[in-house]
Order: sequence, then structure tokens, then C-alpha cells
Amino acid sequence: MGDLAQIQFDTIPSFLGVPVGDLEDLMPGQVAMAGYFCDNLDRPTAGQRYLARQLRYVSRPGKAPTNAIDLGDVNVFPLERDKHFSAVISQCEAVLGTGARMILVGGDSSGLKALGIAARKVTGADVPVVSVTGGITDNPSKTQPIILSVDLQELAGIWMSQPRRLTGLSPAQMIAQIDATPGNVVAAAIFGLAPALDNRGSTETRAALAILQAVAERLEKGAP
Amino acid sequence: MNNVQKRLMMAGYAGLPFGEFSQCVAGSVGVLGVPSEVDSGPRVGASLAPDALRRMSQQLGIDLPANGRDLGNLDLSGDWPGVLTQLVTQMVDDDIVPVVLGGASDVASAVLQALPDLPVVAAMPLARGDVAARPENTIWVGLNGGQPADVWDQISQRTMAWRTARQLDEGHTDFSGMPECAVLWIDISVIDLGHAAGAVGLNPGGMKPETLVSVIGAMACSWQAIVITGLAPARDTRGMSELAAIETLNAALRNG
Repeated sequence: MGDLAQIQFDTIPSFLGVPVGDLEDLMPGQVAMAGYFCDNLDRPTAGQRYLARQLRYVSRPGKAPTNAIDLGDVNVFPLERDKHFSAVISQCEAVLGTGARMILVGGDSSGLKALGIAARKVTGADVPVVSVTGGITDNPSKTQPIILSVDLQELAGIWMSQPRRLTGLSPAQMIAQIDATPGNVVAAAIFGLAPALDNRGSTETRAALAILQAVAERLEKGAP
Repeated sequence: MNNVQKRLMMAGYAGLPFGEFSQCVAGSVGVLGVPSEVDSGPRVGASLAPDALRRMSQQLGIDLPANGRDLGNLDLSGDWPGVLTQLVTQMVDDDIVPVVLGGASDVASAVLQALPDLPVVAAMPLARGDVAARPENTIWVGLNGGQPADVWDQISQRTMAWRTARQLDEGHTDFSGMPECAVLWIDISVIDLGHAAGAVGLNPGGMKPETLVSVIGAMACSWQAIVITGLAPARDTRGMSELAAIETLNAALRNG
């Protein structure tokens, strides 16, 4: 993307205030963030699709990894399931195929499934999905590629505008788990939160933003 | 119409079918709303609690760990405390556990009147003289430092078990002399306002919602009746107070 185009895009809110870019801007090792505007396919709860938008609204530049980029939202077809998965998988595959690491932000957990299939296509092998709350039974080596699953429904109710459960993790605990999860994180999905829709970002949006930042930093370094 | 809307129309509290007392079977629960209102003070709204609890439990898709019926709300015209006392007596006689959703504290008074010989486990910030005066010792959960002197003397003389919110938060959750059967009264004012604002009483330094759930859930006691009072849902736009009440009730029924 040329300088003139970049200047035009500077006014668009982006994840963590990182530059906005396209597929052709990606370099190996870069962290590519994309919104996932779909919340009706897997564990559906209306409103989860707005998380990416809310996170962009409350993002401020300055704290993001220098190597990160906001690709916009992946194209979705939530009313046509097969077409939807095919499209999302191919888009994720295109991103991962550049050698960049990818974060899918918002929506329901269906994005995680698509990301897993795309990673398998690119690497030629199954890439284990590791939940920051549950972990996996195996203890992957530092070089083992993994996909990080960050389910924001695991946050305790006190962090939510509309809590659904009392117990759970604090954002700080979740961030500590993100840092400590073993393996080489090649992709991540952050999902499961239907944020309050305001223009300042309520507690859960700010918590999710801090978690997104931790995930982006983790992807930038790959292994812990 | 989505599933939540359908559920709201077809089912009562936590997905239980609406029904009559006669449809309850032995070993099940009968959920009854009693929307009485506090008669003084600035923090009113307890009458909204039964329906707010039904709505919240359905939105969350929570199921009770027990079968039963939702008996709807009690008609508060006339001598409703007398009617409530009689209904609770009948239910307990038929081995049905009444789960009474208040309402103000007068709801619990009517329930306790129906079961005068049973001990009470009372989660509330201030001990009450009428409860302390019952023949069986009461177990007090979450008392704060502002107890009336005469009630406190009564509790001390009869060596009743009690724990403050801080003691419970620090893990002192063992209660000596836990009865096998008791009535459980949860006044939502036992929770710290900073954690859940939907209570009719102010209780700074009160319990955390999750502590209340874990303490009640750990009590190996067969609850003969459960009553929840003091919930003012309109004062808590986040719904933490309803969530605390629902999770505490589920924890009690799961273990008791």
C-alpha cells in the first residue's frame, strides 16, 4: 500500500491502532489481525459479532507490536454455512500462506474451526488448538505450531456488563495464561464476548483489548 | 421467534413448567413468587424480583438441578402471609421443597412461621431477633459489625454459629453443629453493594457473590424450604444480583 493510501487509512480505527493493510502487505512473521463478523453458527449468541468493531473503537496507538497489521474483517456468509466456511478457510489460508501469524477477532467459536482447517492446509499437518483456560493434555515443545483459543466467556462475571456466570478468570489471569502457554503460536482466535455497544468501551471491551494486546505480543514472539 | 423468546413464553423459573401445587410430586420443588415490597427506605423494588429472576434464569438457559413446577406469583390481596404459611406447610408435608422468591423480609417471616421447629441457616447482614428467638439455633452467614446488642446477646448466650463476610472470604467456612434439615433464608443484602448493587439494604464490606455461592453450596444440609428476599433488580443494571441469587439457589439445591 502506498504512502498516500496509508495516510487516508490512518483515520480508520484499527485494532490496537496498528496500520491498516491488505494481504499483499504481509511479510513472514508479521502479526495479521482480522475481524470475524459472525455469531450465529457455533455456540450462537447475538452480539458477539460486534466485538471487533468495539475493540477498534477503543484502541489507541502506541502499545501495539510494531510488526502487526489490521486486515479489516474477513468476508463472511453467515446464512450460507458451506459457502461461509469455504470463504473463511480460504481467506485464513491465504494469510497464513504468506508466513504471517493470524489473529481472528470476535464472533463465535466457528472462526476457530475455520482457522484450524486453514492452518492444517498450510502446514500439511494438524495444528493443535490450545485453550488458554483448559490447556492440552500433551505438553508441546517450543517449536510445536499451535493455535491459541481465547474464549472470553471464561472471564468472571464481575468483568462483564451482562454477566452470565459469577466465577471465571480475571483478565490478568487470562493474560498470564496466554504468556505461559507452551508451543509456537501461529494463529489465535479471540471470541465469545457480546460487548456492550457504547462509544467508550465498557469494562469487558477494555478487558478484551488488553487480552488482544497480550495475544498480539505472544504471536509476535511465537514461543514463550 | 427465537428459542429464548419461546422459552420465556412457555416456561417458568429456570425452565420449570408453570403448574399447580397439586401437580408437584414428592421429592420435587415448587417455585413460588411472592412479590411483596419493602415498606420504608429509599431502596425499594423487591416486588420486581420474582419475575426478574424468572427472566434472567431463562435468558441464561439455566436449569434447576431438581424437577418441579413454577407455581407463579402469590396474590397479595388479603391475608397473604397466612396463605403463604399454609401453602408452605402443605408442601413440606407432601415432601415438596418450597422455593420462595420474595419479595421483602415479610415473605421469609411467613415461611419460617410455617416451620417453627426447624433450624434456620440465615445469610443476612443483620441478625433478627425473631429468628434468633426460635427454639432451634440459627446459623448466621455473613453478619456485619452492626448487630443490635440484644440480638447479639441472644446469639452469644445460645452459642449460635456465625461467620462474618470477611471470615468467609478468608476461608473460615466450617460451621459446627450443622443440622441435617433446615430452612435456608438468603437475604441478598448480605452481598456487598460493590459486587452486586441490586439489594434493598446497604452492606459495605459484605460478602462476595461467589463466596455466598460456595459457602451455601458446601453445606451438606437437606433444605426443607428455601426463601430469597431483599433483591431489588432495578438497582442492578448488570444483573449480578439476580445471577448471584440464581447461582446460590442452584448450589443449594445441588447439594441439599
